[in-house]
Amino acid sequence: MKILKSWLNDWIDIEAISTDDISEALESLGFEIESRTDKTPNYKNITVGKVLEIYEHPNADKVRITKVDVGSKTYEIVCGAWNFDVGAVVPVALPKSEIKDGFKIDKRDIRGVESNGMICSASELDLWDDHAGILKLSDQTKLGSDFSKIYNSTDTLWEIGVTPNRGDCMSHLGIARELSNYFNLTLKENSQSLKSNIESVIKVNSGKIKACNSYQSIEIENFTLSDSNLNIRYRLSSIGVRVINNVVDYTNYVLHDIGQPLHAFDRDKLFGTISVRFAKDNEKLKTLDEQERKLTSEDLIITDNDKPIALAGVMGGYDTEVTDTTTNLLIESAYFDKVSIMKTSRRLNLISDASIRFERGIDFNLQKQGLQRFVNLFENDQDINYSSIIDSSKNGIFYESISFDKNEIEQILGVELDDNFIRNTLIKLQIESDVSDKKIKFKSPSWRYDLERPVDLIEELAKHYGFNNFKSTLPIGNNLNSTGDYWDKRLYLSEKLSSTNFYEIQTLSFTDSLSNELFTPEKKSVSVINPIDQTQENLRTNLLTSLINTYRFNLESNGKSHRYYEINNVYDDSKHKKFKMIPNQEYSLGLLIPENETVEDRKRKTKTNNINTLANVIKNLFPSSELEHLSRPGFHKNYSYLIKLDNKILGFMGKLSYKIQSELELHDSLYIAQINTENFNFDQLKAFTYKPLSAYPFIKFDLSFSVPNDFQASNLINCIESILSDNENNISIFDNFTNEKTRNLGIRIVTRSYEKTYTETESTEILEMIVKEAESKFKIKLNKKDENAT
Amino acid sequence: MPELNFDKVLASLKLRLDDVLDESEFDEILKEYVGKESLLSAERKNLSNLSNEDKKVYGETLNNVNKSIVTNIKKAKEEFINNKYASLEDEENEDITIDWITNTGTHRHILSQVMDEVVNIFASIGYKVAYGPEVETSWHNFDALNTPDWHPARYESDTLYTDNDLETLLRTQTSTVQIRHMEENDPPVYIVAPGRVFRSDQLDATHSPVFHQLEGLAVDKNLKFTDLKGTLEYFVKQFFGEDIETKFIPHFFPFTEPSAEVLVKWKNGEWLEILGCGMVDPNVLNHVGYPDEYQGFAWGVGIERLAMLKYQVDHIKNFYDNDLRFLEQF
Repeated sequence: MKILKSWLNDWIDIEAISTDDISEALESLGFEIESRTDKTPNYKNITVGKVLEIYEHPNADKVRITKVDVGSKTYEIVCGAWNFDVGAVVPVALPKSEIKDGFKIDKRDIRGVESNGMICSASELDLWDDHAGILKLSDQTKLGSDFSKIYNSTDTLWEIGVTPNRGDCMSHLGIARELSNYFNLTLKENSQSLKSNIESVIKVNSGKIKACNSYQSIEIENFTLSDSNLNIRYRLSSIGVRVINNVVDYTNYVLHDIGQPLHAFDRDKLFGTISVRFAKDNEKLKTLDEQERKLTSEDLIITDNDKPIALAGVMGGYDTEVTDTTTNLLIESAYFDKVSIMKTSRRLNLISDASIRFERGIDFNLQKQGLQRFVNLFENDQDINYSSIIDSSKNGIFYESISFDKNEIEQILGVELDDNFIRNTLIKLQIESDVSDKKIKFKSPSWRYDLERPVDLIEELAKHYGFNNFKSTLPIGNNLNSTGDYWDKRLYLSEKLSSTNFYEIQTLSFTDSLSNELFTPEKKSVSVINPIDQTQENLRTNLLTSLINTYRFNLESNGKSHRYYEINNVYDDSKHKKFKMIPNQEYSLGLLIPENETVEDRKRKTKTNNINTLANVIKNLFPSSELEHLSRPGFHKNYSYLIKLDNKILGFMGKLSYKIQSELELHDSLYIAQINTENFNFDQLKAFTYKPLSAYPFIKFDLSFSVPNDFQASNLINCIESILSDNENNISIFDNFTNEKTRNLGIRIVTRSYEKTYTETESTEILEMIVKEAESKFKIKLNKKDENAT
Repeated sequence: MPELNFDKVLASLKLRLDDVLDESEFDEILKEYVGKESLLSAERKNLSNLSNEDKKVYGETLNNVNKSIVTNIKKAKEEFINNKYASLEDEENEDITIDWITNTGTHRHILSQVMDEVVNIFASIGYKVAYGPEVETSWHNFDALNTPDWHPARYESDTLYTDNDLETLLRTQTSTVQIRHMEENDPPVYIVAPGRVFRSDQLDATHSPVFHQLEGLAVDKNLKFTDLKGTLEYFVKQFFGEDIETKFIPHFFPFTEPSAEVLVKWKNGEWLEILGCGMVDPNVLNHVGYPDEYQGFAWGVGIERLAMLKYQVDHIKNFYDNDLRFLEQF
């Protein structure tokens, strides 16, 4: 919302207070300052003149020659605008003056006629955007006066945020009321009483519904549709309201001045009794944007003999709108229920300054003042006739007094507030109250529907006390130094993976339906009923597509092939394991390793990975995990495994199927895995004990066995481990050579006794025992041995 | 008195040492000059033929010469070794700047790092990490958080729903975890809940349909607005540095009262909002059935916002494009 300093000054005397101080006050009262503009005239030496004569230009059709009286002298000025006649009082830029953006005005020859300057439009003076032509001033303006003096040309404009609970602050009056307490100023009274001089013609009532608590009207006769005065046009245009004509301008002005939306009807287009009701489904109304609207039973409407004539609080009807030919008016000032206004304005996507105010809730006692202010403004510009106000309030809204213990203030805020402070604040905010030793009793004023509970008033006091004036204390919670299983697991996985050249990625949770089908067709997707677009209509059932997309993107746009991981939720339509009503969500880890991986050093060599690289990563993350072959969609027939930990399924891993690899036009093979982090505990990973270090030297054997093609090396390792179970061992595969006929497996055994240094004889005995055991247990044969006892 | 010319001996030693080509020669030289077969040893054998007086004088001379020889050889050897390695090292002169580049950070996503940092700050003052579902019930996302059913945040233009009755949705705030946690745990509660939240926005420079928040909640006996202030001031100082200035300005959230926004004074003097907070609204505590003597405070902070401020990232889209040029920097 935009507010002007000069406008606030109508309500409280703040002219003398610095703009910085006002900004600080606004912010400390909870009005976020979105912008502040210090306005100064964007022109120089503009004077006021009156057009005495107008005649044709001898050599041009599109311009006219005027004779303009600027008080002391008369000038001949050529003018291209046609929106004025003889007698118009206008701003004049004489030679040696400047209009907007420093443009200098001088004598100029226009098609053979000397023009002594120019007559200015509002936009040429940077007042507001107006293409209607010359700016016309009041006939009473003194000729020759300095233009910058006839309105508030030096001013400050703030754009502020008003929180949704403070509808009462959606006007200059509302803001002024808050500031009056901050600066200790008195709020002024601005409405003058009315003296009606005609009888009203139209009968008005507020209907039989609660949603319209009050419907008031006034009728105006004998008026001229014209421009409103310069001050109104200046203020409205400054706060971003389009200036139209006096009737529209006054309604807008009252709205921004005191917060009461008004609507003007052409009275002569109304025939019966004006009332308010909810529309019937499919009832129709042509709104003033000339659109035929189909109504629903949630739309509140104004009726004339039960026929819809306006959408209450949202938009007027086309058939009853004020036009150039309107001679009599009926002005509506009403209180409508916020929920119905909100529903209609959102459904039809019609959001106006009026609907926004009704939505937030306006003062239920403001309707009469709204009409008064309107008539005051009108009377100020021209002589009009008007009726008395027809008031059909139901008086259905009232606030009860609320009483609470004063020590509740300290209990919530942590400081005690002084009685005088409390009293003064409540008086300035016009909140009826009684502050005694132990209790505070208050009654919310008609504009403050947000003060329903003691805590609401305590917040109000805290705000006016100033949040930054409270002391600060630091309480310590009850979970010192334990972040919990969920976070510990995440950190464990991240640290391990990031230290082995994986990059962590964060991708969006949405996907199209095909990507889910690719890897997890067994899961039914959770869909968004109002997706952002068609490619984001499903929540992902796996993390693999995002990993592949990231891999591809960086390969194509950065020429780099890397490992990636992501830890985020996957979703499917089955029931949530713990909570009712919501779909299943598994906090999961996704991994991707490319076949050829870029090594990030100067030489840019490539590292080659295979299925064992991924298996090794899994084993390092989950040391006691096991793999079990199981074919699954999207994966290589053989290279597809379940990952199990303590017989519980953790997830799956494998190689991307060649079919998908080719469909995705990927040159390299990809190794991918997904793990459900909810299927293990952090404690489980840390449940291992330290292996003691032997004090004796190691002996080492490199053995090469000829083994069948489907032989599993881990069986041999386990077998040797169990033979040497009393020792400290390090057993690994150092070679795996396969050709068409044979497969050779090289195994390195490094072992130490905890008790002694092995002699050469003992070492040979151990070697022979291992070979004998291995050959007898498996169908394998020792090729050669390279004993290297040290 | 024997007349051995010791100056000559030392001069010849000097020449001999100057000619050394290999470290092993020093032991030979030592043997040659002071060993059994050396001139010096021969002289020492002759000592017995001298008078006691001369024996003493000449003996001392021989000792001095011996000492001098040994010292010279030792010094020459040290020098030889030093020169040997010095010239070896002199030959090695690689351009140190060729790998003087920073192309890899920690390999962790910056959003995760910022979440860790924030979690650690709160862990240090006794908060534990809690989490809750991302696809939530409307009740947990709105009703339980005191958001009336006509509230604009519920509109389908802002919130992504997963069923036609609008009963389940993608949570729009991590505040849902407040409710989930309190439903399952008795007070006192001190938790932070980092996680994803969702809005109906297309991904561009300033919007993302997915972003991260960290919700904090403290509920205990005797927690007051002054405690909220102290806690968040502590966080801001830990995260941005001791010298950062903060201020609290009133705001409105349906589920807290009083509510505030915390602003920090940035380097250019501008005040920037970094988090929203407030005293938990009594209605919220009623919804989860907590006894009346408990009250508390809550806050929510945008992780992207913190990351953007701290590292001056200009586009939110960067976080979700996963371009290696971006990932490598953190």
